[in-house]
Amino acid sequence: MSVNLGKLVEDILKESRAKAEDIKKEGMAQIEDRVARARTQAIREADLIARNTKTEYDAAVNRRVSQEKQKARLAYLTEKNSVLDGIMREVNAKLVEFCRDDSRYRPFLLRSIVRGMEASPSDRVKVALSESDLRRYKGSKLIETALAGTHTPKTAVWSDEPVETIGGAVVSSQDDKVRVDCTLEAKLELMKTQLLAEISRILFAS
Amino acid sequence: MKKIVEAEKESQRILEATKREISDLMKDVPNRVASMRQQILREAADEREKSLAEAERTGTVKAQQIALEAKRQVETLSKISKDKRKQAVERAIELLLS
Repeated sequence: MSVNLGKLVEDILKESRAKAEDIKKEGMAQIEDRVARARTQAIREADLIARNTKTEYDAAVNRRVSQEKQKARLAYLTEKNSVLDGIMREVNAKLVEFCRDDSRYRPFLLRSIVRGMEASPSDRVKVALSESDLRRYKGSKLIETALAGTHTPKTAVWSDEPVETIGGAVVSSQDDKVRVDCTLEAKLELMKTQLLAEISRILFAS
Repeated sequence: MKKIVEAEKESQRILEATKREISDLMKDVPNRVASMRQQILREAADEREKSLAEAERTGTVKAQQIALEAKRQVETLSKISKDKRKQAVERAIELLLS
């Protein structure tokens, strides 16, 4: 009787221990599952941060490179402009020299006056020169020669009002409504793009 | 009979103790999760910081190379020969007076 009782007590305890073990296993499984799901979610977020970091890395490097390239380009263009300005100053100095050389300048001035006369729609025109040119050529037959070159019945006189120019002429109608600028400055301005392109080709082509 | 009752009581105690143990572990899950999550995200944030610092260094090195090349190019501009300058001036005069 006592042996059976002892076995019964033992079975009761054994059963409860087994049940406790099952409860523990199930509980631990639930806990591990929750932790594992949370870990997966956190890793996913970390991966997103890592992917964004790659983009941020590239952007940061590109931004720095881009800033420096812009700075470099600006410095290069500034220096290039400085060289071109220097060349244009030399061109101006050469033009001043050219205008002082009567044998070369006179034919040019004559052509300028003819061009101005031909471009002006007026029959009576005034020819204005720089103050120094006016002194040099007023008494000459330059206007008559120019008129002969135009083969038109136009008449022309010297204007008493000088123009500010290195060389060339301004031809205008008597009433000053039409003005044809054939000065070197006007030509420089007109040809500036072409001149700078040609100068750049020679200086910077390589 | 008394022994059986005691065994039943012991059995109940074992089950309750196990349930308490699991319940305590369950209560701690949010803390464990938060701590683990914080660690994973902190590592990612640290990597990000390192990467951005590396980007700054890489950018600086590349920028220095660009600056050096730019300096060389600017110097080349200032070393244009007199012959070339003369040629450019003469060509400009030729175009202007033509």
